[in-house]
Order: sequence, then structure tokens, then C-alpha cells
Amino acid sequence: MQEGTPLQSRQINRELLVSILNSPKWFWMAVGILGLIVLFAMGTAGLMINKGMGVTGLNRPVMWGFFITNFVFWIGISHAGVMLSAILRLSKAEWRRPATRAAEILTVFSLMTAMMMPLIHTGRPWRLVYWIYTVPFVPYDYARGIWPNVRSPLVWDPSAVYTYLTSSILFVIIALIPDFAVLRDRTTGISNKIYGMLAMGWQGNPRQWKLQIIAGVLLSALILPVFVSVHSIVSWDFGMAVSVKSWHSTIFAPYFVVGAVHSGVSAVAFVLIILRYIYGWQNYIRHEHIDALARLLIVVATGWFYFLVMEIVFGFYGREADEIAVRNLQFMITPWNIWMMIFVGVTYFLPVAIWLSRSARRNLWIMSLACISVNVGMWLERFLIIVPGLARKQLLTFDWYTYTPSAVEWIIVGATFAMVSMLMLVIARVVPLIPLYDIKEGEILRTEIKIGRVSVPATFRED
Amino acid sequence: MAATEPKGHGHHAGMWVFPDASAMSQDVSAKTLSMPKPFTLALMVTGALFILGIVGFIGRAATDGFDEMAPWGYYMAIFSWIFMISSAAPLAAVAFRFTKSHWRRPLSRVAELFAVVGILNLLMFIPMMFLLPGLGNPGGVVEGQLELRRTIWFEGPIGAPHAWDVLAVASLAVTSMVILLLSAMPDMAESRGTATGFRGWVYNRIAGGWYGTKRQWNAQKAGLALLGAFYFMMIIFVHFVISSEYAQSLIPGWKDSIFPVIYSVTSIQMGLGTCLIVLFIMRRWGGYEGYVGKSTFWSASKVMLGVTLLWAYHLFAFFITFWYGRLEVEQNIIKYLIVESYGIIFLLNLVFSFIAPFVLLIWNPVRRSAWGPALAGLFAIFGGLMFSIRIFVGSANAAKGDEIYAFFLEHVPAPAYPDVWDVFMVIGGIGAAAFVYLASTKLFPLLSLWEVKEGTLYQKWRKFIRGEYLVLGKPE
Repeated sequence: MQEGTPLQSRQINRELLVSILNSPKWFWMAVGILGLIVLFAMGTAGLMINKGMGVTGLNRPVMWGFFITNFVFWIGISHAGVMLSAILRLSKAEWRRPATRAAEILTVFSLMTAMMMPLIHTGRPWRLVYWIYTVPFVPYDYARGIWPNVRSPLVWDPSAVYTYLTSSILFVIIALIPDFAVLRDRTTGISNKIYGMLAMGWQGNPRQWKLQIIAGVLLSALILPVFVSVHSIVSWDFGMAVSVKSWHSTIFAPYFVVGAVHSGVSAVAFVLIILRYIYGWQNYIRHEHIDALARLLIVVATGWFYFLVMEIVFGFYGREADEIAVRNLQFMITPWNIWMMIFVGVTYFLPVAIWLSRSARRNLWIMSLACISVNVGMWLERFLIIVPGLARKQLLTFDWYTYTPSAVEWIIVGATFAMVSMLMLVIARVVPLIPLYDIKEGEILRTEIKIGRVSVPATFRED
Repeated sequence: MAATEPKGHGHHAGMWVFPDASAMSQDVSAKTLSMPKPFTLALMVTGALFILGIVGFIGRAATDGFDEMAPWGYYMAIFSWIFMISSAAPLAAVAFRFTKSHWRRPLSRVAELFAVVGILNLLMFIPMMFLLPGLGNPGGVVEGQLELRRTIWFEGPIGAPHAWDVLAVASLAVTSMVILLLSAMPDMAESRGTATGFRGWVYNRIAGGWYGTKRQWNAQKAGLALLGAFYFMMIIFVHFVISSEYAQSLIPGWKDSIFPVIYSVTSIQMGLGTCLIVLFIMRRWGGYEGYVGKSTFWSASKVMLGVTLLWAYHLFAFFITFWYGRLEVEQNIIKYLIVESYGIIFLLNLVFSFIAPFVLLIWNPVRRSAWGPALAGLFAIFGGLMFSIRIFVGSANAAKGDEIYAFFLEHVPAPAYPDVWDVFMVIGGIGAAAFVYLASTKLFPLLSLWEVKEGTLYQKWRKFIRGEYLVLGKPE
């Protein structure tokens, strides 16, 4: 599983720190354009808060639309970090090495973006504090008889997401310490001081390495339950609502988690391809890595498809009129049925057909297309769960309604993609997006085994 | 003994074995032919239990006939238990062959051999076809009842449910058998010249044309990969069929999309657990310690731990959705299968499928041992037995007569306790499965020789800096 030429430590430092020590010319222009898009969306959100939710397409009975879809989508993307970093680290998959840091950082930014969406969706974000916590210094409007309900998944949700965000940041920082030390030794002035502080006295002695490795493994193990709980709880935002028939499904939790991994890992594969292209990291993000990610994705996608089939089969299984009405909307009524076909096609059949071919897995253009396709599909999936369910929520047909997103929603949702891209670019200027020490360790451990006349790539393993 | 001393250092001392490929065939062949006393005794005991099971079956049939499903609940449970093990165990060989895990090599044949138990399972399935009610309500359109039972076949294609269920179970059994034969072909070819009698006849029939040419090896590996992928899809589908037909569809109003997944996860946990028990016995008493390193247990136990956690997670996802929903039918199902009627069985299920293996396997020293993962496997198969009893006895006894066509489970039925025939059938079923497996080990080598030999090429013990370490080769 090792291609490419052996790399020297100096070369690794030089090539992987290029994004920090030598910014390309286009960097600030790209950040500026993305920043303008984000600013425009912030203005739009401000307008929405000022004018009220009437400027969105939300209306009874569809009170959850683009914003909540986007919230679930970004939570999903955040699942790549732990999947790639923690699980592959625990399973000692060698090909994980160049992918972990980008995945972890994408996790942090997508979580931050996700958490903004319910805030925006409330229309009056400052009142969120009433919704979740009773803080002593915040006047709580008891007069209206509304109390925070700790038994509500809407309260579990932010608790889980913030726990995940905190642990993901910790995870990134622990893994960054040796690399901060490398940066400390290669910078001057204020940068040197900041990196020195972040490196926390790292000298690379055996004791420090041992502690760092133990911390990494422990955090990997501890973050796993958090990782699973986050999207499970997001799914229970829906699954606990008996009133929306198509949502009250026992499979929602694993279905959401596997879907999240599917979209998250696809997103990481896409980010890696971009990084390889813009920073010239061909020696590090090699075809074998993208190939391995694609093979992992075949398994994940097939698992996801199985859950999807179960969800749909058991949707029909009960033969209950109110649930059949939702399924009828999803599968029989245009344009929903067309969206449904596109969703299944681009999330499963198209990408998996691509990943089954070795040459396609190693073609970065085709892989980019497949990864984008998955994420378009996964966004649609959340939309097609949320909106049809609500549109057919009521028992009486005159209460049925549909939903058309407004320009305000399109702008805000679109800008979240710009925001994550911008944040990824900015962070690439500050920290190495491929872990230096992990790559160096991989280089030290790589070797070969001679079988007959053939040399087979091999690795030294302690366990 | 065709092996060197086990290697490893520090916590991993004695973890890896490096068998001598040149002496392996002769050694394993001798082991396959030998009939040591403990083995003969085990064969006799399990054979006696098998007969006891047949007595139980005849007793049950003579007492109750095949008209009502309720008296056959325990038969369904033991069928399901054997089915879950025998269908999932070959998956261990298939899945880890896909992931190219070297540690799987001693485990592969142990897992594939459960295909033979699958044939027993297929025979056990025949009476169950007569027990399963048809889709349509014999009373026609009746007030308060469904015209068609809720099943995965909906309006029902021709032959549903019976013909399709048989086809599903039979296809799975046949596929696993073909995988076993294809995998065992090179090993059989090695012994076909020396094997005599029935064994010689079988070896020549199956491996007569095998000469180990490059083309044959490529075809065998491609065949195993394709069949493995097919088996993977089939097992998921057949688990979905069995868990829906013989459990969910028999409890009115039970609509639970995660249940087929829970069934599959329980099955995988039991299948892997059983393989670990067999490996432990092989290592401890079978003279295979030179071929089965602790590294196999170490790696398999991590998978086992993961599956155990998945089991708990899926169960919780089911429970919280039903519990939180507060729908009457869902509350009744929880009371029936979890809290009240089968509460104690559920507790045993929870303890042995989750708590005990989890508490055991979280410890590194336990995972590095051979006994620890095997003990966890033993817990898992006992927990799985409780799962089968809870679900299948519960389902068979939830609705009597035409209640099966009711919209919802409107009350919490009482539990069904086993009588003497049930006890005979359950013990006999366990004995029958063990008997068939033990007998098959005298026909097929218990070690996949070609895979273990291949493994010796890819796993080396080499000097690295100041110590010696394992080197793992990955061909692609």
C-alpha cells in the first residue's frame, strides 16, 4: 500500500510547510472573495432578523426547511474527522496519515457552521438562551409558562454538538503539538512566540512522544461515543416526533450516522484532492490514498444504502394512511419524485459505480466528481426527509402544504460553503494540513518484503 | 510441530507465530485424520444430544401438530440461534479476506466450516415453512382486522411468503457451501493422493482437477471475492427476511426498521464469538498452537468489542424511539419483549450480549490473551440464545389464531414457558450443530493451509533499530 519515493525529513518539513511559510499569490484574493460572500450572507441574515421569518419560504406546516437541512448536512460532514482520524488510527491503517489533519480541521469548521444554522433559523437568535439554558443573570420569561425541557432532543442536541466540538478541538491541538514545535523552530518574531506558546515546551524527547501517543489513542477512543451520539441525537430531533409519521423510525440514528460518515469522508477526499492540487503535495496525497478512501467509501455507501432501503421498506410496511401520504409525496408526485431519483442516483449508484473501477478511483477528476456527487445527494437526502414529512404532517388534506425556499435562504445556505472553504484556506496558512510527524513516522516504518522476484511494500508493526 | 517459537516483546510477548510452511501440510493432515479420545467423546455426547433433539421434535409434532405456531416458539428460537451462528461465521472469513488482514488466516477455515451447519439449518427450516401463516386473512375483510398481514411482501408476489423464504435460506446455505468448497480445493488437492475411502472420494471429486496453476489460483481468488461479495449481500437480505417473517410480522403493529439490523449485528457477534471459541479449543487442546497466534485473538477481539458496542447502540436506538414515542402499541411491545413478559430473558440477553463481553474486552491484557476473547464469545452466544428466545418465542406467542391480523398489539401477552419437548429441542439443537461441525472437521482440514502458507510469505520478524519487530507485507 505504499507508492511514491521515500521522503527525507527535511524534504517533508520544506514541502508541507509551504502553505504556511510561502503563501501563494492567489491566497489573499481567494480569501477575500470568499470573505465577501460570507459578509453578504451575514447582511442577508441581518435583514432576515430585522424583517422577520416572512422573508423565508417557511410557512405552516413546513417550519423546518433549508436552514435545518443545512444544519444536518454540516453535522454530517463533521463526522469525517473522527472516522478518518480516530477509527483509522485505532485500526492502524497506514494510509490514514495524510488525511487525518484535514479531516479533523474540517470537522471543527463544519461543526461551527452547523451550529450557526439553528441560531439563524430561530429568527431571533438572542432568545436561544431561553430555549436551552436558564442562566442566572439572564431574565427568563417565566410569565409565558415556557420552560426549558431537558427531556427534549432539542436540548440534547446542542449539548452533544458542543461536546463534540470541544473534544474535536482538543483532538486537533494534541495532534498539532509536535508540528507547532517544528514551526516554532522555523519562524521568527511574533509567529515564533505564538508557535512557541502553542508547542507547550515540546522538545521531542521519548517521554513527550509517549504521552502524546497515549493522549492521541485515549482521545481517539473517548471521542468515538461522542461521534456516534452527535448524529444519533440529531436524528432523534426527528425520530422522537411521533406527529410526523415518516420521522418516527427506529433506524434513524444509525442511518444518520452512516450517512454522515459517507458525506464526511467524501468531503475529506475532495479536500485532499484540492490540497494536492493547490499546494503541490503529490508526494504526500498520492493516488493510493484516494484509492483507499474510495474503497472505504464503497463499504460505507453500501451500508448507508442498506439503511435507506430499511427506512423506506418499513415506511410502507405499516400501511398507515398518514405515512403513505408522505411516501406518496416522495415517490409519486413531481418534482419530489425526481429529486428522490436524483438523490439516490447521485448518492449511491453513480459514485459506487465509479469507485468499483480501479482506474476511476485513481483519476482525481473523476474522484472529485464522485465526492461532490455524494455531497449533493446527501444534502438532498436531508431535505427530502425533512420537508415532505412536514408537508404531509397534518391528517386533513386541506392542511397539507409545500415549501419553496426564498432567495434569503439560498444566499445564507450557499454562503456556508464559502465560509468553510475560507476557514480551511485561512487555517492552511497557520497550521500544516498534513501532519508532519505522522508522515515522518510512516516513512520510518516503511520497508519491503521480498517474495520470489517481487518486492512487496511492507510496514514495521509493534502490535 | 511445524512452527518456531512465538515472537513478540513487552506486552506483546508470544503474540505472533511463524509456522514452517514445508511441514505444515503433513502435520495438519495428520491432525485431521486422528481421532483422539476427547474428540470421540465430544462427538458421542453431541450425537446423543442430537438424538434428544429429534425426540423433542417428534414429541412436539405428535402433541401439537403443525397448525399453530405458538407451541413451536422454542423450535423457532433454536433454529434462529443456529442460523445466526452458521450464517455469520463464514462472513468472518469473507470480510477479513476482503480487508486483507493477515491475522485472519488461521480463522478462515474455522469460519467457513460453519457452512456445513448451514445445511442442517436448511433442514430445520422445512417445518418452519408449514408453521408460517399465509398473507391473507382467511376470514376475508373483517372489522378491526387487516385483510393482509403486515409483511415485507406487502401485497405478495406469487409464492409469498413461503417460496421466497425457502429460496432465500437455501441460497445462503448453498453459497456458503460453495465458498467452503472453493476455498478448501487447494488443500484437498494436496491430500487427494493419500486420502482414502469417503474422504479420498470427496477430495478427488472436488479437487481432482486442481494443479495449482497460475490461472487456477487467479480463478479461485476471483471466485472467492465474487462469492464473498454475493454472500455479504445475501446474508443481510436473508437476515432481513427471517427477522421480519418469523418475528416482526407475527406481532401485530410491530413496525421496527432497526430490528433486521439488530438481528444481523447479534448474528455477527455470535458468529465471530463462536469462531474464537473454536480457535481457543484448537490452540489449547488440538495441537494448533503453532499456527494460531495470540495475534488472531488480539485483532479479532477488537472487532468483537466493536460489534458488542454496535449491538448496544442499535438496541438503544430501538428502545429510545419506542419509549419516547409513547404510542400504545410501542409501549405494549416494549413491555412484552423487554420489561414485563420477557423481562428476565431480556436482562440475561443484555448482560451476556453487551455488559459481560464489553467489561471483559475493554482490558488490553484480556484482548491479548486467547481465553479472554473466547470467553467473550461464549458470553455472546449465550446472550444470543436469550435474544432468540425472547424474540422468537415472544413472536410465536404474541397473537393467537386470527389475532395475527389485528391492527395492533392491544395487550401485553403472557410469557411462554418451555415444556419438556422444548427443552429437548433447544439442547438437541445445540448438540446437533456441534455434532455436525465436529464431524465436518474430519473431512475438511481445520486450518486453511494455503492461506496460512501464503501468510508466512507476508509476515516476517526483522531487526529494526535496536529491537526486533513484525513486518507486515501488503501486496496492494
